[in-house]
Amino acid sequence: MAELLRVEGLTKRFGEFTAVSRVSLEFQKGILTSIIGPNGAGKTTLINLITGSLHPDEGRIFFNGEDITRLPTDKRVKKGISRSFQVMNIFPRLTVFKNVMLPVLARLGKSMRPFSRLEDHPDALAEVERILKGVGLWERKDSIVGELSHGDQRLLEMSIAVASEPEICFLDEPTSGMNPIERVKVLELVKKMAADGRTTFVIVEHDMDVVFSLSERIIVMARGEVLADGNPAEIKENQQVRDVYLGEEL
Amino acid sequence: MAKLKETFKLKPVYLFLTALAIFLLALPQFGGRYLTYIVIHVMLLSLLGLSVNLLLGYTGLLSFGQAAFCASGAYGCAKILLAMDSPSLLAGVFGGLLIAGAVALVIGFLCVRHTDIYFAMLTLCFGMMIYSLALKWRSMTGGDDGLVGIPRAPLEIPGLFSINMSPMENYYYFVLIMTGIAIFLFYRLVNSPFGLSLQSIRDSESRTAFTGIPVRTYRLIAFVIAGLYAGLAGVLLPPLENTVTPPIAHWSYSGEGVIVALLGGIYTFTGPIVGALLFFVIKDVIMRFTEYWLFWLGIIVLALVLGLRGGVVGAIQRKFLPKMTL
Amino acid sequence: MYLWLIAAGLTIVFGVLRILNFAHGVFYMLGGYATFTLYGMLGLNFWLSLVLSLISVALLGGLIERLFLRQVYNLELPYQLILTYAFILIFDDLAKMIWGPMFKIPPVPSALSGTVSVLGRAFPVYNLFIIGTGIAVAIGLWLILGRTWWGKTIRAAVSEREMASALGINIPMLFLTVFMFGTAVAALGGALSVPTRVVTPGVGMLMIVEAFVVTVIGGLGNLKGAFIGALIVGMLTSYGIMFIPILQLFTMYAIMAIVLLIRPQGIFGR
Repeated sequence: MAELLRVEGLTKRFGEFTAVSRVSLEFQKGILTSIIGPNGAGKTTLINLITGSLHPDEGRIFFNGEDITRLPTDKRVKKGISRSFQVMNIFPRLTVFKNVMLPVLARLGKSMRPFSRLEDHPDALAEVERILKGVGLWERKDSIVGELSHGDQRLLEMSIAVASEPEICFLDEPTSGMNPIERVKVLELVKKMAADGRTTFVIVEHDMDVVFSLSERIIVMARGEVLADGNPAEIKENQQVRDVYLGEEL
Repeated sequence: MAKLKETFKLKPVYLFLTALAIFLLALPQFGGRYLTYIVIHVMLLSLLGLSVNLLLGYTGLLSFGQAAFCASGAYGCAKILLAMDSPSLLAGVFGGLLIAGAVALVIGFLCVRHTDIYFAMLTLCFGMMIYSLALKWRSMTGGDDGLVGIPRAPLEIPGLFSINMSPMENYYYFVLIMTGIAIFLFYRLVNSPFGLSLQSIRDSESRTAFTGIPVRTYRLIAFVIAGLYAGLAGVLLPPLENTVTPPIAHWSYSGEGVIVALLGGIYTFTGPIVGALLFFVIKDVIMRFTEYWLFWLGIIVLALVLGLRGGVVGAIQRKFLPKMTL
Repeated sequence: MYLWLIAAGLTIVFGVLRILNFAHGVFYMLGGYATFTLYGMLGLNFWLSLVLSLISVALLGGLIERLFLRQVYNLELPYQLILTYAFILIFDDLAKMIWGPMFKIPPVPSALSGTVSVLGRAFPVYNLFIIGTGIAVAIGLWLILGRTWWGKTIRAAVSEREMASALGINIPMLFLTVFMFGTAVAALGGALSVPTRVVTPGVGMLMIVEAFVVTVIGGLGNLKGAFIGALIVGMLTSYGIMFIPILQLFTMYAIMAIVLLIRPQGIFGR
């Protein structure tokens, strides 16, 4: 299986506190992975490091064999990495349509065109329609995002992440704040998107149902380190993991 | 047939624009010299306002130094016109624009790596550096007194035509055409993919980076374009007034641009233009009663910030035309 | 020294409220006008005039904070700057309206008049007084911030904004008092300047940009830096004028720009 993304010895410190400690991982193409762990385990920091929002103190990152440790975020995205955010990070003053139109245009290399109108790009328009219909937001396309419900905003959040057609996409707590019905919706969505094989998903999640029903591989982090790494069955049996979760039903 | 009908549907906007165009074209005939002169200044101020708003309303960057590019354009144009044996208006205008753009490129390159308050202060800084150059560099800029005797050069393309610009009327039409083109280009720009990119940078710089867009580069481009607009406001001034003096580079003039944008509404397209118009109207009205018009301007700005944040156009938009982006 | 007083007020206000008060120079100006009116025109005792001026301007500052500033804390930066800019416009013209152009400089109070020989040159006692006051304010601030409860609260608010309210500190009250204090300090500068220079409406605008430069060089929110910054800029301005007048203004802004570019926290900032 093709190795898509590899991190070696990734370390990040904030003063005295080590958020991520010598983490080495490999992500294979097509394997849906979840990263779980208690709060403060370093999951989001890890994503920040991989996507370029933070610079590692030590360690290196390879994508498709290429060393991307020094690349700025936008270049990494162009290579095929993307993410969604735990704390909603959408474009508040723009409509739903424009929120997705932008990453699509960017992917098509058209984001710098100064004189054409948005309507002049049928390929982008079609793409946006496809994405929005996929998450059921097409009818609301002209709404300003502030008018959407939390759940819909989260769907939009995810749509922006996948709009750049990444090879690997990190979803940071995609169901955060959602009710059970909405969670199922997201679940199905991710399943569907993962199924066609173009994007490999890595999901940070707290909801164990989602994690165990979706993932082929689970990485457990605690205190900045990788505690366990394996398929769902292995993880369930792992004593260290059970300790970390203090007897919670896995 | 139905399609044809739709193309020519009389949208109220087109009606309004046509009426406005007719009004503006006929102005010198019935308005008189002074009014024509004032309207030219309104157009120049609206260009400054658009310059400020491209950065503020569309890209989320507050610049307190646009006056610097205005001045660069103005002084540049002036020097060119003064240096030419047979001055050509177009040479002055485009030469000045080039200079303004170059200055914007240099300053922008240094400024866009910072955001928010640091950006605002940096632009203020550079703006005042240009001001101090204008004020003190006597040999180049005439210092306090500025440059005088700038000819209102004829509009000519050698070999093709030459139009005398001395009559205020003629110069007015020239400014009108230039401003019209500029506004049209601005309209296309902000509604283009690039315009969308700028707005997303404004809304979330981090997310925009995650769509693969190099944020800093786009900011720089926006900065240079804004510099050109401010520069245009500047280059059209010397032939009109026949002089250029330092105050055009002072941060208070930049402040005027910001007020104008705020007055009209920073998240609207026509805001700065309406703002410029209102600025002059307010000034004129208040000045009939008292010489302390800045006081009242301050009060109005205060009221704007506290109550009418969308600006005049923003308020109109909310009340009457909720679906339209003016 | 005047620059230091304005810069100090500006720095404190920025440090706690995170608002860059464009209009801070206005308080300097008002302090000057108030003192001029009380001392110069009405002939009240100099010290009394000082105190009354400080109190009245501080009260005005309090009003402004309560009524206006409070509304813009949560708005974006442009609105804050424009709001304070509006105050410059308002008060500059107001000053013109109320006091009109004036050119009298009231005499230095007798207790502080005369000259003293310093390093072989005659040095006006009043200038020593000003310098002394400036240093006294610096020491006073250092003491207040370091020793008093109020000062510690300020420092907490500066370094840990979110925590401060969680700790039960009354933020609105703190903001109010800090702003009034900053105002008073600036007003002090203006008040003290009265016997030495003419008070004019535009003076606020002139000094504010210089105060900005000082604050930035020293580090936004850093008082020690502001003090040293003020000294540097003050000296540059006085001596620069003598040696390289053409470049003086330019250099000042250039230094500010360089500091902003390379070390935005200022020379002394964290």
